[in-house]
Amino acid sequence: MSTPPVLETRGLTRRFGGLEAVADVSFSVPQGEILGVIGPNGAGKSTFINLVTGHVKPSSGTVLVHGKDMTGAKPWTLAQARVARTFQIVKPFRGMTVRENVAVGVLYGPNHAVTMARALVRADEVLDDVGLEGARDRGPAELSTADARRLELAKALALDPELLLLDEVMAGLRDNEIQPGLDLIRRLRDRGLTILVVEHVMKAIREVSDRVLVIHQGRVLTSGEPDEVLSDPRVIEAYLGKRYAERHEGESGA
Amino acid sequence: MSTVTEAEPSFDRQATGSRLDWQRMLPWGLLALLMAAMLGLQSQLYIGQERTVTAIFMFVALAQAWNVIGGFTGYACFGQVVFFGIGGYATAVTMVHWHLSFWLALPLSGVGAALFGAVIGLPLLRLKGHYFAIATLGVAEGMREVVTNVPALTGGGAGITVPTVGEDATTAYLGNDGFYLLFLGIAALSLVVALVISRNRFGFALRAIHQDEDAAGAMGINTTRAKVLAFSISGMLTGLVGACYAFQQVVIFPDRLFDVELTVLMVVMVVIGGSGTVLGPLLGAVGLQYLSEYLRHSYTEAHTFILGAIIIVAVVFLPQGFVNYVREARRSGDYSLLANVRRYRL
Repeated sequence: MSTPPVLETRGLTRRFGGLEAVADVSFSVPQGEILGVIGPNGAGKSTFINLVTGHVKPSSGTVLVHGKDMTGAKPWTLAQARVARTFQIVKPFRGMTVRENVAVGVLYGPNHAVTMARALVRADEVLDDVGLEGARDRGPAELSTADARRLELAKALALDPELLLLDEVMAGLRDNEIQPGLDLIRRLRDRGLTILVVEHVMKAIREVSDRVLVIHQGRVLTSGEPDEVLSDPRVIEAYLGKRYAERHEGESGA
Repeated sequence: MSTVTEAEPSFDRQATGSRLDWQRMLPWGLLALLMAAMLGLQSQLYIGQERTVTAIFMFVALAQAWNVIGGFTGYACFGQVVFFGIGGYATAVTMVHWHLSFWLALPLSGVGAALFGAVIGLPLLRLKGHYFAIATLGVAEGMREVVTNVPALTGGGAGITVPTVGEDATTAYLGNDGFYLLFLGIAALSLVVALVISRNRFGFALRAIHQDEDAAGAMGINTTRAKVLAFSISGMLTGLVGACYAFQQVVIFPDRLFDVELTVLMVVMVVIGGSGTVLGPLLGAVGLQYLSEYLRHSYTEAHTFILGAIIIVAVVFLPQGFVNYVREARRSGDYSLLANVRRYRL
């Protein structure tokens, strides 16, 4: 028997009133893959992550983690099952230091039996990992945009995840800040993590993804190798409109 | 299953230095010292002063109880007095009808209030912000009507008398010194609970929920369980205070035991002192209750007017509470009140 994929969805659908934010999305992510998920604004990428992590309940469809049915499970159940996520709009716990922010995940994650002192030690290790060791005693409000994103990632890593869902961790970063982020994502994959990257920064997606999934108006438009998918006329059309796509086609055909 | 080897926790580094231990023990030392000082104080006071201090103890306990749900967890409960009333009536009713000793009725009242907190918490804690505040306010007002309308059990609007003298008395009335010590004990208990919560993992969960509930859930915190537990603990402490108050007052009425003014006082004390801290509600309760008594004696006519004005000024200039203001001012070196107002402008 082959091992089931780390994450699999079958016909995952979420309706908000008459709007199908996510419609019939079926795909799977095998162990150790970095899957890039792209799509224009409002395509349903964030809703899709929320459906997987239990922050939004699916209207229909199934979510399987390591082959186990986790449809509609609570966020904390998924966190304890080593499914970690970041939020598109960072959600630090203000009033706690950076170190304490990370320690919360150690205290309540899958290894939650640890003591407070050990949780803080583990938090320091995670902060070393993402390059935030210098800011551990600072408040989240004092961090730069890039460091706030690092903290968001560190909080997810505090759960010792097997599956990591990154919701636009590169958004708003400068080019020279993106490269270290990509290196970190690859390093995490090399340790055996399975990673789903939702991103608008195409350079990042092209460089880091093993496979790219395109969502458009809540549905899977296409999926495949990054270069192949990113030059697909349907994808360009979804992003930039029909007229631009036709012109692009004409130019490249000439 | 997991191939994540590097990320496994390695717990060999020492996290605690001597400075940290010292910092951890300091509040406990101060609390013990304060209690020891208070234990000898009652023999030095006149009866009027002793009653004032007893009332201060009561408000210290009430403020700290509200702080657990309203301060740490960030769920502003505007019906907190419902636990006070339930605790008081549970004690009166069990002492009258079941002839229980006060010392048995007291813990029962605490358990009753905690259970009530869990039962109403499960649906109400799904609400947030103003919706939660209004819903809890409604529960308290509704409960007053319920208690008023079962006179066979509660004496209804005419009140109920706790048996404290003669043959019926299950526990002899405690007297001024007795109630001083009783309320001191309850205040100490509430401070210990708040101190423990502020430092342990449960406190981290509550603070995380306060900041962002979705993020708290994503970090593995069972937010439903944590919120309901916090509400129960808060309700239990408030219920215990209500039980002691009923015994002290002997005759209790629904209008007094479910008086919304009590909730308002708890909220104001916590907010002015600094919500979500242990020291803030303590200072807020002591300061406001002492000030209120002082003004009542010195300015019989206008004391509520002056007190109200002081509260307004405090809330305008210290919107985050006294303790949080001092903390931030010390860190930033900026003590300007105007800068503080600007920082917290709406």
